[in-house]
Amino acid sequence: MKLKANKGDPFDALGNRYRREIVELLAHKPRSVQEIADRLPISRPAVSRHLRVLNKAGLVSDEQLGTRRVYRLEEQGAEAARRYLEDVWSNVSVRFKLFAENTRPRKH
Amino acid sequence: MIEPLRISFVVRCDPDHAFDTWTGRASSWWPPEHTVSHERNARIVFEPRAGGRIFERTAAGTEIDWGQIVEWDPPRRLRYVWHIATDPMNATDVEIVFRGLPDSSTRVEIEHGGWDRLGDVGQAWREANHAGWDGILPSYRAGAELRS
Repeated sequence: MKLKANKGDPFDALGNRYRREIVELLAHKPRSVQEIADRLPISRPAVSRHLRVLNKAGLVSDEQLGTRRVYRLEEQGAEAARRYLEDVWSNVSVRFKLFAENTRPRKH
Repeated sequence: MIEPLRISFVVRCDPDHAFDTWTGRASSWWPPEHTVSHERNARIVFEPRAGGRIFERTAAGTEIDWGQIVEWDPPRRLRYVWHIATDPMNATDVEIVFRGLPDSSTRVEIEHGGWDRLGDVGQAWREANHAGWDGILPSYRAGAELRS
């Protein structure tokens, strides 16, 4: 089982302090890049980069509201995280099983 | 507490071989797309003792830590903390039990838990009070509430 090529790993995405802070900020309400940058000690381009990682992992989405682009938490994000993990473990299990069964010591 | 992820399956070999394959020969079967380097020939090492490191060694010799063994009890049980591709402070817990069956196959039971350590995010989700979140990882929410 393979992940869709454009899907990021939600647990990678949450493995960074600023990205977790962004998730917290967006949990209160949708915000623009500038509004997020105003509340964090990092630059606007850095915020944009973190948002791209979160977006790729399915945790946030963006929307154009008039002249503003706002980011919001993706409601399916946690479910995506869980599904991702189930995929990883089933992939690991299948490969482990194949290898173990084909290398077991012969019984006489 | 956040409900752990549980997976179980039967492998047609005895527990000795299953345990040894999991820990001693992970390089041969661990999916390369789930390593940090994504190198096909990266070595994956489980140091065989409690406190031992679990890491990936790239062809260039760089070692990338994935976790640490908590319980080393061959061929029955293995526990480790796991922080592949994330800060060690986000480590989660993996327990694998290799249960011998009468037909000399093995039931492998994997439990992956410790999600409540990502508590600040759980807290954020709780505060969002999104109706849509209610059906999602309900115990994640419970974990966040216990701490506050």
